[in-house]
Amino acid sequence: MFKMTPQILRNLISGPATRAYPRQIRPPFPATRGRLVNDIAQCNFCGACAVKCPSVCIEVDRHLSRWSFAPHICVCCGVCVEICPRHCLRQEPATGPPAAQKEMVALDAKS
Amino acid sequence: MNHALIILGIGLVAGPLLGGLAGGLDRIVTARLQARTGPPVWQPYYDVIKLMAKELVVVNGWQAFCVYSYLFASMLALILFVMQSDLLLILFTQALGAVFLAMGALASTSPYSQVGAHRELLQILTYEPLLFLVGVGIFLETGSFKISVVMQWKDPLILKLPLLFAALGYVMIIKLRKSPFDLAASHHAHQELVRGVFTDFSGPLLGMIEIGHWYDTVLILGICSLFWATGPVPMAALAAAAYATIILIDNAAARLNWRWMLGHVWAMGLALALVNLICRHQG
Amino acid sequence: MRTSVIPFGPQHPVLPEPLQLKLTVEDEVITEAVPALGYVHRGLEALAQNRDFHQMVQVTERVCGICSVLHAICYCQGLEDIMGITVPPRARYLRVIWGELLRLHSHLLWMGLFADSFGFESLFMQLWKIRERVLDIQEATTGNRVISGTIRVGGVSRDMDARQVHWIADQLTWVAHQVRQIEPVLREDFTIRRRTEGKGVLTSAQARELGAVGPVLRASGIAQDIRQTGYAAYGELDFEPVTATAGDCHARCMVRLGEIDQSIDLIHQALDRLPGGDIRSEVRGRPQGETLMRVEQPRGEVVYYIRADGGKTLSRVRIRTPTFANIPVLVKLLPGIFLSDVPVVVLSIDPCVSCLER
Repeated sequence: MFKMTPQILRNLISGPATRAYPRQIRPPFPATRGRLVNDIAQCNFCGACAVKCPSVCIEVDRHLSRWSFAPHICVCCGVCVEICPRHCLRQEPATGPPAAQKEMVALDAKS
Repeated sequence: MNHALIILGIGLVAGPLLGGLAGGLDRIVTARLQARTGPPVWQPYYDVIKLMAKELVVVNGWQAFCVYSYLFASMLALILFVMQSDLLLILFTQALGAVFLAMGALASTSPYSQVGAHRELLQILTYEPLLFLVGVGIFLETGSFKISVVMQWKDPLILKLPLLFAALGYVMIIKLRKSPFDLAASHHAHQELVRGVFTDFSGPLLGMIEIGHWYDTVLILGICSLFWATGPVPMAALAAAAYATIILIDNAAARLNWRWMLGHVWAMGLALALVNLICRHQG
Repeated sequence: MRTSVIPFGPQHPVLPEPLQLKLTVEDEVITEAVPALGYVHRGLEALAQNRDFHQMVQVTERVCGICSVLHAICYCQGLEDIMGITVPPRARYLRVIWGELLRLHSHLLWMGLFADSFGFESLFMQLWKIRERVLDIQEATTGNRVISGTIRVGGVSRDMDARQVHWIADQLTWVAHQVRQIEPVLREDFTIRRRTEGKGVLTSAQARELGAVGPVLRASGIAQDIRQTGYAAYGELDFEPVTATAGDCHARCMVRLGEIDQSIDLIHQALDRLPGGDIRSEVRGRPQGETLMRVEQPRGEVVYYIRADGGKTLSRVRIRTPTFANIPVLVKLLPGIFLSDVPVVVLSIDPCVSCLER
């Protein structure tokens, strides 16, 4: 009992270790793998990302030149970024905002 | 007549006001001791308001009856205290309330409630003799069970009865449901009995139990403050110091089991109380 | 004698896992405990038949959130064994670093939950405060807090530079300092010893007979740690298995406390000796053959059986997780103890039910 007392008194003096979250946000680490973004101007719709994705969250339609992506199915593993031959995929350091419904991202090539 | 009504009003209001405030401060201090920020000080009131707004679901009539009886007994005990009535009457009234709470839990068939009620009864069994000895000690010192007489007493009782005050500490830890004796129902339901005696109460009934607990808190802190009844400031200071110590112990100890509680509190508490009383009246 | 059946789980506040134990109780003494499983079966082994062997790395990582890296390491080592791939030394060291960080955060998490099981909330908060720093290290180096996703067949996908190596060492010094402060509480506190010593005693003969693994086995005095087989870079690092002899809940806590120090030491060693070079070797062709691979997880030994028939997908992946081996121990320990000790004993084996049911 007396072993813990200095610990908790130190906590009392040094103040909370937690953050008041929505008001105070820790900046993400640069290496954090967050939301996937595609620079669609560079994409050649090869479909390599769709084939390699472990969670099958990317769909590529070569005829329509459409790259679609389900952010809420994505597991942020980064495999697609590694294998992309055009290096047009990247991951932002933060995850997307919370959402009430599962969204779909569909990007079309500028024609 | 008017005077009595005012006192009645003070008793009724003091419970929720001071008890809820004590609960809110407890949560903030506990959070700070654990390196957290903690909720706002009014959080206990928000909790109770939310509980009161919920749908009333009752397992059976006995459960509701027991909750009303518990709340009534707790209120009555505090009102009698504010009216500076007989200490023995107050102790028996609050014991009645505590037993009604256990009976309410026994009214449902859930094993968590049953075991929790069983432990609650064991807790009552553990602290009642000590609380009674505190009353006896005050009687032997002041010559009366009347709180009005105790309030007139010029010397602080704690200087004459320090060991008895320590024994009252055990009672307070058990009564306020703090570690290491939060056996029947811990505050946050992280124990093997889910929430022990409170498991089967919900909504407004649970809110009433919470309000009853506020009355109990104020009453037990009031009894504690009688040990320095020379004026309102020393009374409040003693109660606050005792409460802070109990919060500190709560955060520095694990929960123990009832076998240990019964043995230890009876052995240590009764020894402390009796040694103090014998020393005062033999020497 | 009053006999009642208390359902402990699958949704129980003390138990953070969907495990149900039907406890037959006579006056708060357990006479019989029957586990009921199957609440979180996800069919991850069956996914091996429609995900290719590279994609399975991410699937195995998600067998369990807390042992993620080590599941992936075990699976990748199995495939590397089948395909005859040599992993570059730097990748092997990085795997050790991430594996040990994972063990560190898993043990801190467990200790917090253990403290919570006997109602010591402030200790729980204190331990999770330390754990948060370990998770920060994981996020800054792998990119994710818990499921790192950096292990690949043939190596790892991320490297760390010299600045990060220094930063990790600094952060770990802080973690070690904090753990040293909390150590006397876990080791000597009266109320903790009262709740854990002599509870759920497993003798070394029983541990051997029931096939216990991990800290449960080592707390019963058997110095067996799969890391001694020298997989990844463990063969080149110095460590001794942490053991205790009492075999009770307190001994299991002490073994894990010792392993926290050991993990910090192993990471420091690996950071000091981190070799240069590639982090990933090329994977060509398709796997054909079968293998059995063992890795020491925070909870004990995990066994992967992998069979490949030369196709794009694997024909069988069988995972035997440490909790599976420790459930018989739990069923053996429960009868005869008090109801109030059930959470302590259940948590002392560190059950991970999502691991167990895959």
